[in-house]
Amino acid sequence: MSELTFTPVIGIEIHIRLKTDTKIFCSCSTNPESPANTNICPVCMGLPGSLPRLNHNVVEKGMLAGLALNCSVQPKSLFFRKSYFYPDLPKGHQISQCDLPVVADGYIEVHDADGNLKKIRVNHLHLEEDAASMHHSASDGRLEGAATSYVDYNRAGMPLGEIVSEPDISSAQEAVEYAMNLQRRVRYAGASDADLDKGMMRFDANVSLKCSDGRWGRKVEVKNMNSFRALERAIEFEIKRQKKILLSGGEVLQETRHWNDAKGVTSASRVKEFYRKFIVEPDLPPLIVNQEWIDRVTAMMPEMPDVRANRYVNDMGLPRDVAEVITDDKNLADYFESCVKAGANPVRAAHWVRTEVLRVLNERGQKIDAFTVKPEVLAGLVSRVDDRKLSTTQGKEVFDYMCANGAGLEDAVKALGITEGGVAGNALNDIIAAVIAANPDVLEEIKSGKDKKGKKLKFLQGLVMKETKGQAKPQEVAEAIAKALE
Amino acid sequence: MELYELNLNDVIEGLKAKRFSPSELYASCKQRIDTCEPNIHAFITRTDDTQPQTGNDGGIFAGVPTVLKDNLCTKGIRTTAASRILGDWKPPYDATAWKYLREAGAVLMGKVNMDEFAMGSTCGNSAFGPTHNPHDISRVPGGSSGGSAAAVSAGYVPFSLGSDTGGSIRQPASFCGVYGFKPTYGMVSRYGLISYGSSLDQIGPFARTVRDLQLVMSVLAQYDPMDSSCFREKNPDFTHREDVSLKGKRVALVKEFQDFTLDAPIAEAMTRTRKVLEDEGAIIAEVSLPVVARYAVACYYALAMSEAHTNLERYDGVRYGYTVTDAAGVKEMFERVRSYGFGSEVKSRIIAGTCLTEPSRCDEYYVAATKVRTLIAQEFARAFGETDYILQPVTPSLPHRIGEEDEDEMKVYETDLYTLPVNLAGLPGLSFFTGYAGNLPVGLQLIGPRWSDSGLLDAGVILERHLGSPKIANGGI
Repeated sequence: MSELTFTPVIGIEIHIRLKTDTKIFCSCSTNPESPANTNICPVCMGLPGSLPRLNHNVVEKGMLAGLALNCSVQPKSLFFRKSYFYPDLPKGHQISQCDLPVVADGYIEVHDADGNLKKIRVNHLHLEEDAASMHHSASDGRLEGAATSYVDYNRAGMPLGEIVSEPDISSAQEAVEYAMNLQRRVRYAGASDADLDKGMMRFDANVSLKCSDGRWGRKVEVKNMNSFRALERAIEFEIKRQKKILLSGGEVLQETRHWNDAKGVTSASRVKEFYRKFIVEPDLPPLIVNQEWIDRVTAMMPEMPDVRANRYVNDMGLPRDVAEVITDDKNLADYFESCVKAGANPVRAAHWVRTEVLRVLNERGQKIDAFTVKPEVLAGLVSRVDDRKLSTTQGKEVFDYMCANGAGLEDAVKALGITEGGVAGNALNDIIAAVIAANPDVLEEIKSGKDKKGKKLKFLQGLVMKETKGQAKPQEVAEAIAKALE
Repeated sequence: MELYELNLNDVIEGLKAKRFSPSELYASCKQRIDTCEPNIHAFITRTDDTQPQTGNDGGIFAGVPTVLKDNLCTKGIRTTAASRILGDWKPPYDATAWKYLREAGAVLMGKVNMDEFAMGSTCGNSAFGPTHNPHDISRVPGGSSGGSAAAVSAGYVPFSLGSDTGGSIRQPASFCGVYGFKPTYGMVSRYGLISYGSSLDQIGPFARTVRDLQLVMSVLAQYDPMDSSCFREKNPDFTHREDVSLKGKRVALVKEFQDFTLDAPIAEAMTRTRKVLEDEGAIIAEVSLPVVARYAVACYYALAMSEAHTNLERYDGVRYGYTVTDAAGVKEMFERVRSYGFGSEVKSRIIAGTCLTEPSRCDEYYVAATKVRTLIAQEFARAFGETDYILQPVTPSLPHRIGEEDEDEMKVYETDLYTLPVNLAGLPGLSFFTGYAGNLPVGLQLIGPRWSDSGLLDAGVILERHLGSPKIANGGI
């Protein structure tokens, strides 16, 4: 009997916070920095008599996110009421598009185990409202058993897009690449900041195992992953756990499991899955998106990172890895392109951005939008180094000076006492004359022929180099001194 | 004649001509309330203990007293929906309909009784006890807007607001002998109306003349961006005109309803009204509404309860209203709040709604009902291709005595057959006064196609001219 093999079958649901100034069904601010329970109104508090009204910017961001995932916009979609009781849910139901979403049928590419590109199908993205956030006094941070619980309704009604993949993912690595790629693309589209640290992107994974003997384990939903690392670990743990069960002839239960990041394990949810039912939200008419609106939003879509990276490789001659690093962040890629537009050589500019700009940003923990050296300035610097007006070392000194002092290019060069193009010709001769005049004894020695080993001549050359701050070519200095001594 | 007896248009005219002052009018209404209220019990919360604050001296309702059904939110004033679960909740905002009236200068005398969360047709399912019919205090005023109808009938105020989900304006108007109007769905903003069945609920006025209804509608029917189901066309014209005519208009009776038995005074009112219409030059016709007759009641309750149970999910004791502070956990808190807070009729509708939408039978009931509703709307649309109006009773019987409710709950539901199809199709319906049978008023109903509201009220003006206007009820005095 051959050994049993198992193929993981994984689907991922990703919630992203759509980037709008106001909530999905009212005009309260979405500012995450506001003090607790200050961004609230009768609508997002679910007060009796209040009615939701759809924020069309949310629809637009949802469409942008969908287009970034190669989805198509659905001309008609609906909202439903998803019922369950919990203190974080002001109306006792969540308004969600559920299965009739605004965008559907897309895909994202990832690399499989052999390094080949593989499409992960995106079933749809639907719009919904977030629940309030809760803070429990219990030690394990959960509601049950907590002596006191606090609810912050600022988050209630924040706009979310839930992106549901088909079960096309076969490993934790593919899952992470899918999620990272998705994050990059929705950020590019301006649909979401997808900042994991701020809870703007959250993962649930459905994991089952297909056994080579024909058995197929039931689907287990794993919740509570808030980082790429957690997503990867949770899936790996779940694959191992289910494999063990199937190998021992056991049966995998269909259940919801909770990822405990500290312990690195999944455990069956203590709270029973809420009983959910859906009715059409009677307070919101069907969402109709006409072709004109679709065209307008489509026109807003920027070039996606993979397309951009290909262009950098094919049209600008960038190495693939450099192109991918630069296109990871749209603003960085925009910065790079501005450099090129301002006249910098693309390959050299890319090199500068990748090594120097990213180094400084990493050191400072900054993002490119906060970077003080403007792309046109960097382009000027790159060109001067390219034209050998500055040596590479000088270029880096100038760059660091600009970063540190917020100075312009000319000011930095001046402040560092750099003479562009080096010291040569008359300027060099003047320095030599001055050095000789200041050292008559050395001159005497050389002229008397005592400097057999040329030590004194070297000494003079050194003084001249020092005076030029190293900006003269040694060969030229030697020749000029020889000439001056004639 | 006392000032409280004046109809809305006369009140406005009198105030304008300075024949009396707003405070004289106010005092007269207050006096009337003080006299009758022990018999009628229309109020849940009176707000007439302090001097009136008129919202807008120059508004068309400047100084006109009114009352609101207690499911309309009033900023800083207790709003209960006649339920214990809301406790002493004071909304932080005004319902749009009330905001429009307040801005027009109307003065609030108080919040009036209703069936809890508008579920009922007697005004007896209230946490605050029943309201009595001002024409015969041993009888029900109808419901759910019983307090609003009784207040206008007894002369407390010249007009009031109620809401109608399946007949809750038209039926109490008929029982109390006043005019009640349920506008086209979407005509009046529902923002601030505590929801029962969101796709069926509509706010509308009660008054003692049709002309008064027109005036109130001219203020209520304005687009409101806060309600996504509110109309976006230009405001309809509710200007009162005397030169309206029914000549050549087709008024139909529903074929399938003709076999049903009616109390004799109601049957007699139908005959009399038909004669009036014929005399006015209208053509009496017949339309067939087989789907309505067969399925409307089941369809209505499936939808209303499905929507209601989700609308009532928010009452959990966490943010407002009645709550408990000593529960062992959140589950116990929810259970205790909802067990004590809701009355039995509300509970049974929540349970029904939960069952009707439960995943394993949702398609069979809730989803099926949404499809039947489409058929009903289509059937009405077809009928209104053949006729301009439909004439029918509001109820098959006159108001019964308090406590004599039909034991058979299903039969109580069936008496709603004349009113609730109108809500399913989103149509406007006018409940109009036809005369008295003994001391009890008899009302009938005229229905029009969607957005025919102003034409429907014009027809009401003609009917009132021939059938006469109601007088103020004795209020148990």
